[in-house]
Parts: sequence; structure tokens; C-alpha cells
Amino acid sequence: MTQLFVNALIAGSLAALIAGGLSLVYGTLGVFNMALGQMALLGGYATWWLHQELHLPLLISILGGLGFGALLSWFTFEVFVEPFWKRHRFLPLVTTIALSMMLDGIILLLFEERPRSILPGLKKTFDVMGARISLVQITLIVLTFLLLALFAYILHSTPFGRQIRAVVQHPHAAESLGIAAPKLNRIIFILSGSLAACGGIYQGIDQNLSPTLAFGITIKAYAAIIAGGKGHLWGAILCAYLIALLEQLAIGVPWFGGAYISAGYQQTVALAVIIIFLLLKPNGLFGASLRSA
Amino acid sequence: MTKRFLSLLSLSALTLAACEGGGDSGPIKIGYLGPLTGDAAPYGVDTLNGVKLAVDEINAAGGIKGRMIELVAEDSRCTGADAASAAQKLVNVDKVVAIIGGQCSSETLAAAPIVEAAGVVMISPVSSSPDVTNAGDFVFRDYPSDALKTKAMAAFLREEGLTKLAMISENTDFAQAFRASLKKDFGEENIVFDEVVDPGTKDFRTLATRLKDVEFDIFFPNAQTDAVMAAMMQQLREQGLEQQAISHDVADSVTLGELAPEAVEGMYIVNVPTAGEGGDFEAKFNQKFGGAQATIAFAAHAYDAMGLLAKAIETVGANGTAIKDHLYSMTPYAGVVGKFSFDRNGDVVGLSYSLKTFKEGKIEKVKDIAVNSMP
Repeated sequence: MTQLFVNALIAGSLAALIAGGLSLVYGTLGVFNMALGQMALLGGYATWWLHQELHLPLLISILGGLGFGALLSWFTFEVFVEPFWKRHRFLPLVTTIALSMMLDGIILLLFEERPRSILPGLKKTFDVMGARISLVQITLIVLTFLLLALFAYILHSTPFGRQIRAVVQHPHAAESLGIAAPKLNRIIFILSGSLAACGGIYQGIDQNLSPTLAFGITIKAYAAIIAGGKGHLWGAILCAYLIALLEQLAIGVPWFGGAYISAGYQQTVALAVIIIFLLLKPNGLFGASLRSA
Repeated sequence: MTKRFLSLLSLSALTLAACEGGGDSGPIKIGYLGPLTGDAAPYGVDTLNGVKLAVDEINAAGGIKGRMIELVAEDSRCTGADAASAAQKLVNVDKVVAIIGGQCSSETLAAAPIVEAAGVVMISPVSSSPDVTNAGDFVFRDYPSDALKTKAMAAFLREEGLTKLAMISENTDFAQAFRASLKKDFGEENIVFDEVVDPGTKDFRTLATRLKDVEFDIFFPNAQTDAVMAAMMQQLREQGLEQQAISHDVADSVTLGELAPEAVEGMYIVNVPTAGEGGDFEAKFNQKFGGAQATIAFAAHAYDAMGLLAKAIETVGANGTAIKDHLYSMTPYAGVVGKFSFDRNGDVVGLSYSLKTFKEGKIEKVKDIAVNSMP
């Protein structure tokens, strides 16, 4: 049983990183970024390239991957989101789908079709309270927690964080109070792209990267933010972990008189549970109707 | 001056008319279907390169009776839907004489009714699903059916005294057909763990956790791609499960050894012999394409499919039905993969299996496994 929770933590940390940033973007701009999965993968691939091809130390490669992710999201914001989102908030939906296709092509061109692993080979595992976990996974889980804690601190205990929350709650009111909303939007978008890149790097270290992963990453992140409530950062992060836990529980414990649910239904079961929750609470599991973020 | 111009014009008009005559002159169009993008792309890249190598050699030697071969490649992404639309395009727009493809069994099965209706011969270099056997008269393959491979695998397991098999299968045509046919050949009672996961799943931790409570002798990662198989093996080993593993063609991949060297160490692979390895063919292939992404055997089967097709066209002309009849009745073709012909279902006859294993990240042959031919 402990193992199931550990498994959920591993899968959930990946989803939480990506969903967290996305939730802020959705909260402030209200736009969908459908190229998020590709941006995550490219961050991972950049790290892979720096570490496996240029043989730079892992830490520098990870920083490089993050930097690349930030640059890519900045570029995405300036070219594919900023010129469009004020005209209609669904326009970036189309432009970022186009971008996702372009990025798919670029990934194939630069990194080829074969799977790539940033740290190939078996990782040493430990027994922690009856669950097996590798040092890399512990590091990743802890780092994710630290990142999210830092996020929480910035958001709730700094003037900058207060400005972000103000923009999320009411952009026009915030602007009339002298908060530079456009600048904040840009920063938040780049931040979300960098967090996605973090997720891609995580995936590349823990498992492997292949070009087809992108869409699944995007969809899971959206499931988490919708289930968590629009623009509700902590809701999105909690839901990312919750979906991961549901996925593990769905197939990891015997249901209904000892029979296991077939693993093919793993994702279906998790998402079906989310839909049932949403039917009962349409604003999301944590969605207060007025206050958010 | 005008006269000269006119005569030139009429001459060019004549040539044009001759070209439009189609059929007997101008290039012979051959189609290619396979996954050039996605997780299965290494198969597509290797087989396409194998076909390209054959086409270049044939064209350099003067083509087929003076006509060059023109290759039209389509990406069918290892899915039935993409393969069907690609096959439609090759047959109706490009009007190809024959097709090399598909690579994934799902591609071949989806394209089969289309080529069947159009009377275009299709030879698959790597599809191994037993369902391809009855896919149609115009559908051939120079790769043995899994119906034989599972027999070989079951025979080996019994010989080793292994009676409890645990398997996780990806939900794709190839992996599911393999699963069904292994169940039949090895006996359902000998399979102690049998789970099916969505295509492309990479999180197997919870299944591996459950496997800890199952008593099994050997694990069979029945994945469609090496990316997924690497995740399966890695996560199984991370849970401390040390049991022996065995798998099929998908494991016969250099990439797998690079991704998860420790996890796959000692894993058995039942596959067609590594055809073309170490020979003249591999040297030529590596020089031109810098090596295979999955395995040289895939390229060798594709190379032979193209060579065989060219020989058939040379013998009976560029006519679908004539090529089909020729392939059923031909004397064995001596290719890179061995000497083979086709049975009445278009399945290959004459190739055997070998047992290989991973040793320090490299694939080594252990021995040949004899299998009886199709019942």
C-alpha cells in the first residue's frame, strides 16, 4: 500500500509541476496553451542533448534545459499568444495547436524518433517504509515540493505575489490600481513554461523521452486544472496528485470482491472519477466561486 | 528557323505523348508505407532505408528493363487510420505498381482491403501479426507470422522448465495478437499474470508492485516499442524483481540496450535470425545510412522485399495480378535474410528463429530454435 502512494507521488510530482504553472496562466490570461506538452518535452530534450551529447555535468544541463524552456516560452508568448489573446481568448487555442505541430516536427528533426533518456540505466533503489524508491525519484519528489513551497511563499508572502493574485482575481481592477498586468502576464507565462520544462526534464531522467508523449502531458495538465477549479493554483496541484493517486489505486488494489481493474482502464477510471466530481461540483473540487489563487 | 522550331515542338510533343502512354515506359512507381514518426519510427526508418538501398542499386544497374524505380514513401504512424489514408493515396493518386508495407501489423491490416480492391500487391517486411495471414490475396510478407514465433517461445520455455509466465501487454494489434497466440501455445493455466495497458503507457510502477505478490518464473514485457519496453523493464527491476525475462522482436533493439542496460541484462529474445548482420549488406547499409535505428534485420527484410518485387516485375511486367500470381508460384528467392518463398496465404516459408540475449548491453545469439512450418 505504501508503495502505491509512493508510485502516485512519483507520477503526481510530474503532473503537479506542469499543472501548477498552467493554472496560473489560465487564471491570469484565461488562454489555453496546447503546446505545453511539447514545451515540456523540448526542455527535457535540451537537457538530454547537453548531458548526453555535449557531456556537460548533469546540474548544468538541467539549468540549460530550464533556460531553454524559459526562452521557448518567452518566444511562444510574444509570437503565438500576446498578439492574439486580447482579441478573443480562444484564438491562442488555435495558434498554440499550430505551434504544437511545428514543435512536434522540430523534435523529430533535431532529436529523431528513438527514445532518449537523460540518465540511462538502472537507478539504485532503497527501501523506505516498505516501499522501493530510487534516489533520483526521492530527489525529484523533494525538489518538486520545494519548488511548490517556494511558489507558495512568493505568491502569498511577497508584494510580487500579491500583484499576481490581484491580476488573477480581477485584471481590470488590478490595472487601475497601478499593477502592470501585461508585464505580469509575460512573467507568469514564462514561469509556467519553465515549470513545464522541469516536468520534461523529470520525465527524461526518471523514464525516457519520445516525441509522442506531448499530447498526453497537455491533456493530463488540463484535467488537473479543470478539476481543481479555474485559476485555483493549489486546487490544480492537489488534483494533479489526486489523479495520479486514483490511477495507481484503480489498478493497484482489488475492487469489488477481489478482482483487479484491467490496467487498460487506468486513465479512464481516474478521469471518470474526476468527471463525477465535476458533476457534483462544477466549479472544480476547490473552486470557490469568487476568490481564486 | 520557324521550321526548325516547329519540328522541335512536334518532337517534344511526341515525347510527351510517349510518356503519357504510361504503363510500359517511364519510371515504375513503388509505394512505401510505414511509421516515419512516433514511437514506432525506428522500424519505419530502418525499413525505408532498406528499400531505398535496394532501389538505388537497381536504378544504378539500369533499372528494370531500362525503367527506373520511383519510390513514393508515406508516413502511416503505426496506426490503422493513417495507413488506410496513405494506402488510398498511393493506390489512387500516385497509382503505384506495388507497395512495400505496412510495418506495424495495424498498418498492414488497415491497408489490406484497399490494395485488395485495387489489385495492387503489397509486401510487408516486418508485420508479424497472425491476422496478416488471412488479410488478402494481394498481401504478402517476408517476415514470419507470430503464430510460429509464439510456438518457438513456448517450446523454449517448456524446455527450460519454466511454467509460470507473467506478462504485461500493450493494447496494439501486434502485441495483442502475440498475447492471444502465446496463450494458446503455452497454455492459459501457465500464465499467472496477464495485464493489458493503453498504448504508450510509461508508468508501470503499480503493476510492478502487484507483481511482487505474484509467484512467477519469467516475465514477458509484451510492448509494441522499445521505449515502452525500456520503461517496463526498468520499473520492474526498480521494484527489486530479479526474475528472468523473455521477449520478442521489439526487444531486438540496440536502443533498448542503451536505455536500460542493467534492466535488460540477460533477457532472452526470440526473433528471426539477425539477418544481414556482419555481412556485405550491413557494410553497405551502414556506409549509406550510418547504421540501423532498431535492427539491421528489419532493413534486410525490407531490402529483400524490394529486390524480390523488382525481380517479379522484371519477369512478368508491371501488372498487379501478374505479380501476385508470380509470387505465389515462384521458386525460392535467395535474399539477405535467407532463401524463401510464399505459401498459399502469402506467408513466408523457409526462415527459422533464433534465441538471443542481452550481454553487457549488446545483443548476442544463443542458439537456433527449430519450428515446424505452418499447420
